[in-house]
Amino acid sequence: MKALKHDTEADVRGDTAIQVGALFFVALILLAFTTDPVATGTREGDRAPALEGKAYNGSGWTDFDLNDYLTPDWQSNDSSAAWVVVDFMDTDCPYCVRAAGDVYQYSNYFMKYPDNNGEIGWRGPLVKFIGSATQLDISGHESSQQEIEDFRDRSGDSECAGSPCSSRDGSTHQFTYIDDLDQDNMKAWKIGGTPTYFVLQPDGIVAWVSTEHPEETVADAIFRLTEELIE
Amino acid sequence: MNANLILMLYIVPMVVGFLFMTPIGATMTRSLTDRYSWMKHERRRHMFGLNLVVFVGFAISVHTTWIGNKISEGGSVCASASLFSCDDVIGNPLYNTDPLFGISWGMLGMLAFGALFFLTRTVGKELDARWAESYLNIGFYLTAAGLLVIALLVSYEIEMQKICQYCTTAHAANLVALFGFWKARQMHEHGTWNDRDGEAAATTSSKPASVK
Repeated sequence: MKALKHDTEADVRGDTAIQVGALFFVALILLAFTTDPVATGTREGDRAPALEGKAYNGSGWTDFDLNDYLTPDWQSNDSSAAWVVVDFMDTDCPYCVRAAGDVYQYSNYFMKYPDNNGEIGWRGPLVKFIGSATQLDISGHESSQQEIEDFRDRSGDSECAGSPCSSRDGSTHQFTYIDDLDQDNMKAWKIGGTPTYFVLQPDGIVAWVSTEHPEETVADAIFRLTEELIE
Repeated sequence: MNANLILMLYIVPMVVGFLFMTPIGATMTRSLTDRYSWMKHERRRHMFGLNLVVFVGFAISVHTTWIGNKISEGGSVCASASLFSCDDVIGNPLYNTDPLFGISWGMLGMLAFGALFFLTRTVGKELDARWAESYLNIGFYLTAAGLLVIALLVSYEIEMQKICQYCTTAHAANLVALFGFWKARQMHEHGTWNDRDGEAAATTSSKPASVK
């Protein structure tokens, strides 16, 4: 107060500080009322990061973008939009090779491929599977696009975790595998180890992460998450 | 409205602000000096221009933050398959926050331009205050430090092979503001930071035609 009485410059700076502060506050209010931001990340409730690269779909390598699989304006009661499972794996990781049989069963079931009797068992929303094949920085885990092809197709001469890829559990995986040998996607998704599974809602929000639910399988998670969408 | 058209709402006032800081400003405002006497004085025109540029920088930072929020909701604001696609740049989680605090670049721009706006507003109101010169120096160093941030963000754009036109306009506002603070410092150093120029001009122009 004393300063204000004797220092005529004090009020100019004080007034301006209040004005600029008010302007900043108005901007924040505007942002708060017109947007509802969702953090990008890999925890449940976050928007999944980008997933891009070259991908092998059984016939050749093409450009892949996760956004092509998503329905941005999805409503929670809409059962027509596809959910997505992302499987981060390494073709030389013994756990991933062992899980290949389960992944084969789950993917065929939730992607609505006919079973041995020609019937489609799953009555919930379509769930598209995507594999992201990396090469962990561990000796003996050197991989290649050929090895990814052989792992997916369960064929060829490549070795997966010390055994022929053609002898892994299950049969041909009917979904796309992304080449993440440079670990770009793995780093962006903060993958600590393989296999790690993510279930994404059709709008790209992470609905389930295997590391947060070690007691639950991907299949159980899909059943639980899509319970109200099953016809 | 087209995102590039909206961008013109920022670019036009920024260019006007820049012109106010150059000799063209005197020509532009000649016919208005009778009505707005402050326009006679170079340093007042200069501070008006600088205020305008910094305010544009603040406004575009708010807009960039808004775009980032909208993209996180799953929306698309200015996505394009061409080189200019701010969605691809602002929406890239690997690059859209600062590496130290994790604050979005748009919010950081709001804070930086907010601080600069405080400096330019106070100096604009009290041109002869004893702290005015030091405030201009702070503004100069702040905008000079902004060059490092711009270099980092441009390197991100080169890596992504995409350009965010909104971010680039904010970078341009920082560059123009740097010029503005530099010129104001020069005026202090050369002793032209005063209102005598306008008075002299007014005296000359008001001299009767018969006196030659």
